[in-house]
Amino acid sequence: MALLGADLRRDLEIHRYPLLVYTLVPLTALVLQAWLPRVVGRYDWFDLPLVITIYFALGRRSPIQGTLMGAAMGLFEDALSHNAIGINGIAKTVVGFLAASVGIRIDVENTTVRILLTLGLSLFSSALYLFVNRFLLDLATEWSWLTELLRAVGNALIAVVLFPLLDRLQSRD
Amino acid sequence: MESLLERYRNLVVLLAILVAQIVGLAVQVRRTSAGVNTLDSSDASGVRLIRLWANTVVSPPERLIHSGFGLFAGAWTNYIDLRHVRAQNRDLKQTVDRLRLEEAALLEDARQGQRLEALLGFQEKYIYTTVAAQVYGTSGSDRSHVFYIDKGARDGLKPDMAVITPDGIVGKVRDVFSHTAQVLAVNDTSSGAGVILESTRIRGILRGDVSGRLEVVGILADERIHPGEKVLTAGGDLIFPRGLPVGVVEKVVRDPDRDAFIDVMVRPAAHLERLDEVLVITSTEPRFSPQQQQDLSVSAAEEESVPAAVKDQMKASEIMAEKLPGLIDPNLAPDQQPLHDSSNPNPVVQPPQPLHPDRFSPGSAPDDVPEPDAGSPPDAQPRKPSALPSANGGSTLPGSNSTPEATPQRNL
Repeated sequence: MALLGADLRRDLEIHRYPLLVYTLVPLTALVLQAWLPRVVGRYDWFDLPLVITIYFALGRRSPIQGTLMGAAMGLFEDALSHNAIGINGIAKTVVGFLAASVGIRIDVENTTVRILLTLGLSLFSSALYLFVNRFLLDLATEWSWLTELLRAVGNALIAVVLFPLLDRLQSRD
Repeated sequence: MESLLERYRNLVVLLAILVAQIVGLAVQVRRTSAGVNTLDSSDASGVRLIRLWANTVVSPPERLIHSGFGLFAGAWTNYIDLRHVRAQNRDLKQTVDRLRLEEAALLEDARQGQRLEALLGFQEKYIYTTVAAQVYGTSGSDRSHVFYIDKGARDGLKPDMAVITPDGIVGKVRDVFSHTAQVLAVNDTSSGAGVILESTRIRGILRGDVSGRLEVVGILADERIHPGEKVLTAGGDLIFPRGLPVGVVEKVVRDPDRDAFIDVMVRPAAHLERLDEVLVITSTEPRFSPQQQQDLSVSAAEEESVPAAVKDQMKASEIMAEKLPGLIDPNLAPDQQPLHDSSNPNPVVQPPQPLHPDRFSPGSAPDDVPEPDAGSPPDAQPRKPSALPSANGGSTLPGSNSTPEATPQRNL
């Protein structure tokens, strides 16, 4: 994992996408996240909005955009659930910020790096969710770290497949 | 200040967004009287609005995907996934055909095994020496009822040996080759066998007619022959041993050539049209098992103990029973035959009792005429009023003629 100068990487490898991609891909992720559990039943060990947040944050390498993307995705997720709006929002906001911050310093084109980053950020997102629920809001929450680990692995596997596909959608200027 | 915000712009944006969300969460959570934080069961208007927007954005494409998935699943299930069905159907048909052939072969093997088992059981119990043979061919003509078996001279077969099955007689060996033999079936027109009807003991000659049916010819018209009567070999033709089943009487028809004769149509006991395994009687010398030999010795010893006169009487009785078929009722069991009836054939028949007995009634005369007393005069005997006037004007006792002893005493 080669560490490069931040300015150099930002200048050379900022991924840019058409506006349609910025709109449709997160929307598709939200829709699929809402619909796929009907198909796969209880084996919904993935979080597509989080994967998309990480991808765009890593690709754009802009903490603000990553923060906004994470906040939007999290708030949408919360809005579609019966939970308080903002729990996922906070978690994914921080994750988006962190992913963009890491993407500035690390070569994120490597598959192994992507897997590890997605795995780690997924677990961190779960930890944030638990932190907001239990410590910030003092809400009773059922929790299983095994489920969170499986979800993180699922997100990493999805990232392995999805990231190269999304890379094809970026615009080359 | 401006440069500080510019320098930490990312963190500022992050903190701003986080603070906004935390404030929003704080609005949604309330503390209960028990001191426990919980979410409001009913959303605030602002929260409801956010949920409505999210639902409005996500629901249409979600429903579209759901419908599309349903269409795709239906298309996949009903069309795309069936693209190999034709080949699978062809393979399955071939498999079914193959399994049918295997099933038929197994069924045939099982049937052959059952037939051979029955044949072997019969062969072991049969008193004469036999050779089992497999029928493998026919003449190919319906005018020649012959078939070929896979045993020949090397197996001890000779011409005119009887061919039978456990069900009944089949035919006789006609030509013998080294490994095969030709058998003339009993339903051939040139065949012939001496037979006897089981209950009526009527003898005749069995042969086949032009259509391959069995008939017994040379029998005088006899009303006692009925359908269902068993036909057995008579043993007089020196081919078939006596007592082998031939078939049952199917019907009786008048002989078209000879008025006084009839033809007895016989349904063969053996399946002459579907022969697979047969037995050839190679020797008519009885062979007995040790148990049978022991029984025979015991029987012989008992027979010697019977007086000669009794034996002659029993032999005469058997001959008489055979010559007088009327003594044998086919509808009765062997132990209930009239032949074995030891009761008096002319029992004493008592006359019926009269409704109004009088002196003429049988058995009343001795009571009406009492013994005469020695000291009493003849006129002292009691008289009954005369029923019939006598020729001399007097009355006559009705029983005078029947009691001759009484009249002289009265006249005296």
